[in-house]
Amino acid sequence: MKEAMATPNKQGGGTWKKLKSQWTLQLMILPCIAFLIVFAYIPLAGNIIAFQNFKITSGFTGSEFVGLGHFAEMLRDPTFHQAMKNTVLLSLLYLLVVFPMPLLFALLINEIPFRRFRKLVQTTSYLPHFIAFAMVASMWIILLDPKGLVNETMQLLHLIRHPIEFWTEPGLFRPLSTLISIWKETGWGAIIFLAAIAGIQPDLYEAAMIDGAGRIKRIVHITLPNLVPLFAMLFILKAGTLFTGNLDHSILLGNSFNKDTSYVIEYYSLQMGLELTRYSYATAISSFQALMSLLLVLFANWFSGRVSGNRLF
Amino acid sequence: MRSYIKLTREDRIVNATVTIFGIVAFLATFYPLYYLLIYSLNDPVDAAGGGLYWFPRQFTFDNYAVIFRDEQLLNSFLLTVARTALGTLTGVLFTAMGAYALSKSRLVFRKTYSMIGLVTMYVSGGLIPTYLLLQKLHLLNTFWVYIIPSLFNIFNALLFMAFFRQLPEELEESAKVDGSGDFYIFARIILPLSKPVLATVALFVAVNHWNDWFSSAYFVSNQQLWTLPTIIVRMLSDTAIIENMQSLPPNMRMDPLSTLMAIKYATLIVTVLPITLVYPFIQKYFVQGMMVGAIKA
Repeated sequence: MKEAMATPNKQGGGTWKKLKSQWTLQLMILPCIAFLIVFAYIPLAGNIIAFQNFKITSGFTGSEFVGLGHFAEMLRDPTFHQAMKNTVLLSLLYLLVVFPMPLLFALLINEIPFRRFRKLVQTTSYLPHFIAFAMVASMWIILLDPKGLVNETMQLLHLIRHPIEFWTEPGLFRPLSTLISIWKETGWGAIIFLAAIAGIQPDLYEAAMIDGAGRIKRIVHITLPNLVPLFAMLFILKAGTLFTGNLDHSILLGNSFNKDTSYVIEYYSLQMGLELTRYSYATAISSFQALMSLLLVLFANWFSGRVSGNRLF
Repeated sequence: MRSYIKLTREDRIVNATVTIFGIVAFLATFYPLYYLLIYSLNDPVDAAGGGLYWFPRQFTFDNYAVIFRDEQLLNSFLLTVARTALGTLTGVLFTAMGAYALSKSRLVFRKTYSMIGLVTMYVSGGLIPTYLLLQKLHLLNTFWVYIIPSLFNIFNALLFMAFFRQLPEELEESAKVDGSGDFYIFARIILPLSKPVLATVALFVAVNHWNDWFSSAYFVSNQQLWTLPTIIVRMLSDTAIIENMQSLPPNMRMDPLSTLMAIKYATLIVTVLPITLVYPFIQKYFVQGMMVGAIKA
C-alpha cells in the first residue's frame, strides 16, 4: 500500500501535472519516506517472526509458522514474570517519585531571590542531561563503591560503621536507580514548567499581593494551579510508559548480584535475541510489551480526553 | 523587582529555605563532577588514603598520561569525533530537507506522507527486527551503522516544520519569480535563515551521537570501531583495566588497586570534560529547542 503511495503513477491528470511542476519538492521528501519505510515499517513488519521459528538461513518467508507458541512459552517463563515485575515496579517508582521532581524544582528555582544565583543553579542543573548515561552510571558506580566518596563521607560523619555495598544489595537497586534518574533529569525536566511559570499573568500576583496574600499563599493559589493542567498532561503521557523498562539502568547499573531487582523486560528480550540468538522468542517478548504499551497509551489518551478534554492525538 | 517592598517574616523564611535548597541542589549536581576532577589530578596512592575533598593534595598528571598512551582510547576518541561530525551534518540536512518539503501545503500527497511519519512516533519495530534488518543491509559491524539509521528523526522534523512555517511566504515567491527551483530555494534561501533551529537540532543530534553507547555495544563486534562511551564502559570494568596494567609505569604498579581507581576517575573526566566545557556556551540553544518542542506539544 505504501509503495503505491510513494510512486503515484495512477493518479488523475491534474495531480500528475502538479507533481511534474514540483518534482524537486517531491525528490526532497521521498528519501525521507523511503527511509521511514526501510527503518521503521520493515522492522515493524518484522515482528511477524514472533509467530515463527525464525532462522536466518530461511528468512522471513521461509521460516516455519508456530502461531502463538512463543507467547505461550513466555507466559510460563518465570524469568519473564520476574522481568515484567521489575519493569513495572521501577516504572511506578519513577512515576511517583522521579516524575514530580521537575515541578518542585521549578517552583524552587522560581522563588530563589538572587538572580545570579538562580541562573547558576538552573544552568548547572541541566548539565547532567547532556552527559552520556554510560558515563553517569560509571561515575555513580565508583562514587558509591565501598571505598568511594559516599561511603568515606558517611563513615567520617559516623553515620555508618562499615561501608555499604551499594551495588551488590538487590534491595538498593531501585532506590539508587531512582536517585540517579532524579540527579540526571530533574533540571532538564524543569524547563517546561519554568516556561509555564513565565507565562502566568503578572497581574494575578499583584492582585494577590494587594489582597494580602504572602509568598506561600501565592505559590499555592496561583503558581501551582497554573501548572496543574500541564503536569496532568505530562503525567498521563508518562503513565503510558508503565511497561517500558529502563534498559540503560538495567544494563549499566545492573549486575549479577542485583539482578533480582534490576533485570527488565528489554534486557531480557535483548539477551534472548542477541546473546542466545533466539530471535523469535525475543521478538515475542518485545512485541507483547510493545502491544501492552500501545494499548496503555491509547487508554491514557482516551482517559485524558474524558477527564480534561485534552487529547494528545 | 520587589526590593522596594519591605520583606515580611514569611518572605525571609521562604528566601532562606529556597536558598538553602538551591545550594544543596547546586552542590549535588556540581560536586560529584568536581570530585572526579580533583581525585584524577591527585597521586593515586595518596588519594586512596581518603580525606580528599576540596583540592588535589599531591598534584600529578600521571593518571592522564596512562590514558593518553592507550591507543584504543585515542582511536575511539577520533572515531567518535568523526561519527559525531558526519552524523550531525547528514542527519540535520536530511531531516531539514524532508521537513521543508513537508511544510509546504502545495506538496502533493502531503497528508499521506505526514501519516507515514506520525505513525512511527507511536509504534516502532523493536530491537530484534531492527537488528535483523541491519544485518540484511550489511550495516552491522561497519561505521555506517552509526550514521545511516539516524539520518532522519521525526521529532526533529517537527521542530524544523514549526520553524519553516513561520517564515514569510514572500521569500519563496520572489525567488520563484527569479526562476529558482525548490531545492535551490531551500539550500540558498531557507537554510541560511534557519540558523537558530539548525543550531538547536544540530546540538540535539550531536549529543545523541556523542553519547550513544548502545550501537557500538550491540551492533558492532569489531572493537576498533567502538565509540568512546562503549570503550569507557568496558575500560571501567576491572578485568579490562587489569589487562592494561602491564603498560603502567613502574611507580604506579606498586599499588595497582589505588592506581586503578585513579585511572577510572581520570577516564571519566576525559569524556565528560568536553561537553562540560562547551556546555555554558551552547545551553541556550538547547533551552530554545526545548521551548519550541514544549509549545508544539
